Amino acid sequence: MDPGSPAGTTARTVCLWCPDWPVVALRRAGRAPASGPVVVLDRGRVRAASDEARAAGVRRGLRRREVEARCPAVVLLDADEALEARVFEAVARALEGVTPRVGVERPGLLSFPARGPSRYFGGDGAVAGKVLEAVAGVGGDGRVGVAGSGFAASLAARAAGDGRGAEPAGGDAGGGGGDRATGDGRSLVVPDGDTVSFLARWPVRVLAERGLGEVTELLARLGVRSLGDLAALPEPAVAARFGGDGVVAHRLARGLDPHPSRLAEPPPDLDEVVELDPPAQRIDTAAFAAKALADRLLARLEGRGLACTRVLVAAETEHGERLARLWSHEGALTAGALAQRVRWQLEAWLSGRGLVEGRDEEATGGLVLLRVTPDEVVAAGGRQLGFWGADPRAAERAGRVFARLQGMLGHEAVVTPVVGGGRTPTDRVTWVPWGDARSGAGGVPGPVPPSAPGPAAAPATTPGPAAAASGAPRAGAHRGRGGRSGERPAPWPGAVPSPAPARVHEPPLPADLLDGAGTPVQVSGRGELARPPARLRCAGGVGVTVDAPVEAWAGPWVHDVRWWDPGERRRRALFQVVAGGVVFLVSIEGGCAGVAAVYD
Amino acid sequence: MDAEGATAAVDAGHAADAAVLEAVSRNSSGIRLQERGPDDGPSSRGAPDLTALAGRVRPLVPASDLVLPVPGDLGRLLPGGGLRWGTAVSVVGAPGAGRTSVALSLAAAVTGVGEWVAWVGDDSLGAVAAAEAGVVPERLSVVRDVPRDRWDAVVAALVDGVAMVVVEPASRVRPATARRLAARLRQRQAVLVALGEWPDRVSLELSVERSSWDFADGLGERRLDVTADHRGRPVRQPVVLGA
Repeated sequence: MDPGSPAGTTARTVCLWCPDWPVVALRRAGRAPASGPVVVLDRGRVRAASDEARAAGVRRGLRRREVEARCPAVVLLDADEALEARVFEAVARALEGVTPRVGVERPGLLSFPARGPSRYFGGDGAVAGKVLEAVAGVGGDGRVGVAGSGFAASLAARAAGDGRGAEPAGGDAGGGGGDRATGDGRSLVVPDGDTVSFLARWPVRVLAERGLGEVTELLARLGVRSLGDLAALPEPAVAARFGGDGVVAHRLARGLDPHPSRLAEPPPDLDEVVELDPPAQRIDTAAFAAKALADRLLARLEGRGLACTRVLVAAETEHGERLARLWSHEGALTAGALAQRVRWQLEAWLSGRGLVEGRDEEATGGLVLLRVTPDEVVAAGGRQLGFWGADPRAAERAGRVFARLQGMLGHEAVVTPVVGGGRTPTDRVTWVPWGDARSGAGGVPGPVPPSAPGPAAAPATTPGPAAAASGAPRAGAHRGRGGRSGERPAPWPGAVPSPAPARVHEPPLPADLLDGAGTPVQVSGRGELARPPARLRCAGGVGVTVDAPVEAWAGPWVHDVRWWDPGERRRRALFQVVAGGVVFLVSIEGGCAGVAAVYD
Repeated sequence: MDAEGATAAVDAGHAADAAVLEAVSRNSSGIRLQERGPDDGPSSRGAPDLTALAGRVRPLVPASDLVLPVPGDLGRLLPGGGLRWGTAVSVVGAPGAGRTSVALSLAAAVTGVGEWVAWVGDDSLGAVAAAEAGVVPERLSVVRDVPRDRWDAVVAALVDGVAMVVVEPASRVRPATARRLAARLRQRQAVLVALGEWPDRVSLELSVERSSWDFADGLGERRLDVTADHRGRPVRQPVVLGA
């Protein structure tokens, strides 16, 4: 127990953090050059960077292009979580000599309670030294932090040594509060009772990595900049204003266990076992069984109103070899996260080699038994809303159906829209197949073009500039190119104003827009009409058969896009035309008119 | 509980219950305790009022669970203020009159409560219009290029998975398929919106006759003449979508 923190809440924890583990793992596997700038990308954004790349200014979260701009000689690789887990397994195993209760949070980060090993080895500093020794023994590079709570220990590990991981507010990584840096500058021990003052200096944004991104952003905007400021707020006020997430953040900032209802001893009959017969030789088979196992376990826990934050995953082969690994998670584990961790463990064991050659502890033979036991449970906080505010069960059910239909009809058959910026209703929408990443897919592809040269469009009934500039506020809330969500999208001069048409046709259905003399309407390069439109005729398909005089019209909105690229240049004029009681969006391009949309 | 209810209980032979029921019946002066014997009461003879009894023993299901509320003018037009789960709705009207917009408003009501909408049709749906109508784009999916022979299976699978399925053109559907789908809809408590005539009974038919724009500041506000026909009782009203 840490006497410095409020009674009976957290235990002193040791945390080992291997910086930039994805890069290290790829280098160990020989897939990245051993020196020089290497950057690992996850879904188009930087996840880890080597020292040389960091020196060139690469940081987490940058996009691919920005990385290439800052560091042209960089080697870009995609993240491979299975490989990271496999290589990290050797580190975890090496630490079993220090303590049996090693809990892996993710490849690159693990922690364990400090009390037992500290007493055995004679002090926290000695434990830190032993951990560093063990890691060095398998050829890894790590930082150790020891503090009064898991969160504080992970921050201490970051601040250890050169403090490269994150800087506390005020910029002093290791000083103040009586912290002692021990080892060879790669570990940091926060003494008993100093945990709270150690935490106070850190900026609030470190909470974002624990899944509290929204609360963190809000706190920063309200002027609560450091964890000390947050800890000084009264808890009822934080709970009232920010809800459950705010309470978790508040408890973390005070050095307390974020789950006050954590049961150290979960009910005994909660483990789930699956026996595989015939023994599973391939990871896929075992992972499939593991998924079912995870679902069952979580359903049983939910039935009792519990969620688990640490699981023990044990696997046994037909030759009797056993591997057990504790996986901990900062929040409650979902079925997907649990299945993923089981898969990592199996990857680590059933295939490939760890960091050390010669120590052949991999499994021989197939897997016969898989057991998952919750090690630490907390009271479940009710059904949590998913990321977009949807009911996660509905999302899961829908996702299964869509995946099945994709199997039946093809990947492109089930699509969802991503609405971004653009000039026409078709330009603004990208249809993304189900299962593909939605982010970064909005609006017109390519960089935002500057407005067309020549006079801007002068529509006959001129909408206000605000209406021309943006779509509906809800549409604008989605991520446009390079914009933060919630911001208004960039103005698109010449854009057709809202409301948007409910039916769009791309390519436009051939039509005739005739003027009073019966000749097709022509628009000059400056957007001038010789004669106004008088009749619209179209024979294209269901819902777009019309041959009627024009009752009202607006336009033209003249677009001259990508004028710098002769292959991509498009010049067109758009009109809103009311004919036969129906409003059409007619486009004239290259002398040919067509119905581009119907306001159905 | 009123005096009639108490009488019915007496007639069913539960005298003790009757005394209790009467004791807790409230009037404007608060709870009053009154002794009532089995011979009292104005109409204590006669058959027990079984419908009243049945009404009291039916499990209470909140009305909100049966109906999806639809906001705005459109919702006010619908019976119960919204769409009944487990039913089929058809939206008919001349092309260009506005039936797609009406369907998008219904879809917006569904995504607004966190559920999913699948639109079976072709590529011509305007997603910007959907977003403006209030549909959450993450929860809208379009299933396109469905071959004619897989159509039944696709729609049935979607009814199992999502809360609302919009199908078009409805003319593709055979009556037998429509009947099977009706059973499935009831079971899954999903809603099917057909753009066009549906070859089976529907609980609600929305017919969009005319739309007019007021052309103030661009296209301006759109007014639709919508008739909602629920079990043979048509109600017609002008509707401004999104209002």
